[in-house]
Amino acid sequence: MPFIQLKNVNYVYPVREGASLKAIKNLSLSIEAGEYVALTGMNGSGKSTLAKLLNGLFKPTSGEILMDGVSTADEDKVFDIRRRVGMVFQNPDNQTVATIIEDDVAFGPENIGLPRDEIISRVDEALAAVGMSEYRKRQASALSGGQKQRVAIAGVLAMRPDVLILDEATAMLDPEGRDEVLSVVKRQNQNGVTVINITHSMQEAAMADRIIVLRKGRLAIDGAPAQVFSSGALRSCGLTLPPAAQLAAELKAEGFDLGAVTDEASLVEGLCKLFK
Amino acid sequence: MQAVQIKNLSYSYSKKTPNEKLALDNIDLTIEEGSFVAIIGETGSGKSTLLQHLNGLIKPQDKKRSCVVINGMSATDKKSLRRLRFEVGMVFQYPEYQLFADTVEKDIAFGPKNMKLDPDEVSQRVKRAMSVVGLDYDEFAQRSPFDLSGGEKRRVAIAGVIAMQPKILVLDEPVAGLDPTGRSELLSLVKKLQKEISPTVILVSHNMDDVAALADRVIALKDGKIVADGTPKQVFSDRRLTKAIGLDVPTAARICDMLAERGVSLPRDIITMDELKSALLALLSKDAPLNADQPLPNIPIPNDGGAADV
Amino acid sequence: MFKDVTFGQYYPADSIVHKLDARVKLLLTLLYVVGIFFVKSYFGFMLTAVLLVAIVLVAKLPMASVLKSVRGILLLVLITALINLFMIKDGEVLVQWKIFVITKTGVHTTIKMVLRLVLLISGASLLALTTTPVELADGLESLMSPLALVKIPVRDIAMIMSIALRFIPTLFEETNKIVAAQKARGASFDSGSIFARVKALIPVLIPLFVNSFRRADELAFAMDARCYNATDKRTKMKKATFKFSDFVACLTVLSFFTLILLERYYFPKIGINIDYMIFGGLL
Repeated sequence: MPFIQLKNVNYVYPVREGASLKAIKNLSLSIEAGEYVALTGMNGSGKSTLAKLLNGLFKPTSGEILMDGVSTADEDKVFDIRRRVGMVFQNPDNQTVATIIEDDVAFGPENIGLPRDEIISRVDEALAAVGMSEYRKRQASALSGGQKQRVAIAGVLAMRPDVLILDEATAMLDPEGRDEVLSVVKRQNQNGVTVINITHSMQEAAMADRIIVLRKGRLAIDGAPAQVFSSGALRSCGLTLPPAAQLAAELKAEGFDLGAVTDEASLVEGLCKLFK
Repeated sequence: MQAVQIKNLSYSYSKKTPNEKLALDNIDLTIEEGSFVAIIGETGSGKSTLLQHLNGLIKPQDKKRSCVVINGMSATDKKSLRRLRFEVGMVFQYPEYQLFADTVEKDIAFGPKNMKLDPDEVSQRVKRAMSVVGLDYDEFAQRSPFDLSGGEKRRVAIAGVIAMQPKILVLDEPVAGLDPTGRSELLSLVKKLQKEISPTVILVSHNMDDVAALADRVIALKDGKIVADGTPKQVFSDRRLTKAIGLDVPTAARICDMLAERGVSLPRDIITMDELKSALLALLSKDAPLNADQPLPNIPIPNDGGAADV
Repeated sequence: MFKDVTFGQYYPADSIVHKLDARVKLLLTLLYVVGIFFVKSYFGFMLTAVLLVAIVLVAKLPMASVLKSVRGILLLVLITALINLFMIKDGEVLVQWKIFVITKTGVHTTIKMVLRLVLLISGASLLALTTTPVELADGLESLMSPLALVKIPVRDIAMIMSIALRFIPTLFEETNKIVAAQKARGASFDSGSIFARVKALIPVLIPLFVNSFRRADELAFAMDARCYNATDKRTKMKKATFKFSDFVACLTVLSFFTLILLERYYFPKIGINIDYMIFGGLL
């Protein structure tokens, strides 16, 4: 059985008195343990709502989400699901609870009532995993954006999650900060953590094993990056190809097929084959 | 005419304390009216300190040595400070977080009203600004800016700046946080603003593809110093320079480097994907073999993948 | 005016004072503050200052960090000082000009009042400088824990306090950004009548409020996502234990307090005599 399973999920947002918005429409999909998935779509496509549905912050209006067989709507299991499905948000300044970094990382483990020694060893481990051990006694407000997001990831890792969701966690970072965060995420995925990266950067999406594209709350495209980029359907979802894939598509239209191109390396590979 | 003239500008934060940090180190800079300048550099390289000197939000610390002159007005002169502020329109990062009025119209009118223009002129400017940024007056003027979508809010905020009709428009990462559609719309809006309202544009960006496509001059800052200054072609094709100062290059230039390592040599001055495409097509069709010394024709404004994805 | 008050501005250092139990520090600060109000002689103020400097040295804090918090209330001190100086009319008249009278008693009362305020704020800022906001909130929570028996949500209150402290630097930064943006649109905050100046703040305050609500919203999600309220048996990484150093600290401040009380009520002559030895005819 897949690790995450969505069955005909609908989610209706109450906007204000009398008005509501269908954010997710009849969505069914499944994600296996250990996958690295990019979830994308233009603003308002429902991707952030989906993220909050996955860890039980929102409950489906109808349909069902199973996390390792447990429904996210199960009131008794909601904290268990939140512990197993960690989430990092967009704004680095709005998710730190504590002034001092190690205190912030300890927040989750404290909330679930772990014994003190366990908390300390988990904080050590989580800070080491994101390369922030030497900053543990520092103030969070003095860090760069990329460092703040790494601390936020450490706060999630200290809960030993099965799934790591990044809700546009790199959108406010400079290129350096983005690279820092993405390499930490990549390493976690190699250690077996399922990663769901919500982003509208196609370069970032290309790093995933699988891209899921939402359009107006519905599943629009789902497949490996090469498939998604060659499907020709991205534009209708308000998205663009990453530059390398765009160039490959244009060359293909001129009669030069480079094969599957998702990023710069595969473009160069394809070109070199043609030149030989 | 020179829009910006800066001489010997240095600035330190927490001056005369152990935490003193030099943000600008003896900057000399002139910007011609009508140019589109991109300022690049890592976070903390001094970009925003430099920008805030342009409209007197930060005043030169050493008034004797430094000089900042905007359109002939000195930024150190108290009397011209207000006028100077209206000549330089500043669009800060995430400008939608500074909206405050209960209607879009009032928010956009804030700048022109501060200029003490008469009410007719104010309302005319609001209408013009809204139409330039693509917000329909009848539909949006009376709505609350807080009810709009992210992209619309940002356009309201930009309209609020250009309603002052500044001669120089400064934009600090205007596309941050937008989705691909929003990005390409906003970047073409910036081009349009230069044509219709503010002849001189200064853009801060981390995206080298945008810089290569839009700017006619690139200024790179590092540790408060100008470390590179020239056309995008000059700056990005000088690989020794970009390596030495740790500068990112546009995707096209990076691909050229990767190809060169594999023995495929392309002209050194390719910086946009369209240039790369023509060079590759020429090489692939072998009709007109190119060699590395032959310069490429200058190809007009390309884009970073905003065109059809076939 | 509030810019330099060092609340939430923990100064990290590896010292005995930093490691003291936050509850002990809270109670001792309270004792110190009460003690200051019993001080009457210059000798007493000297004693207090010696204690304060000793703590700063032991805590490995730079003097400047303590003075910075005093700078924050300088205006308040100045206004109170002026009021005192001109309102006290008893004692030997030193200067008289129209309705303004300055008397010897007035001068001494004013000096003592300034000393009292400065020592008070410096002492209180020592708490903030050597204790992280989280430790403070935890300490308060622990001290207030008996209140939980009467159904007061002590834990939530403590969390609210620690978050408020944590967001102070963020909100300052944000305020500066908004002020800069509105100035760039021609707003001026330092000219015109008081009414005009207050009105000029609206374009700053509204976005600040709106953004704070947005932040609060996002923070609430982030806290929920990290299992806040998952269990009533929330644990703590940092365990507060009463150590030998806590005992020494208590002893020090208690002896200070006793000394002050003794000096004031039982041996008032000592203070007066020492003051006279130092200042002589100036008194």
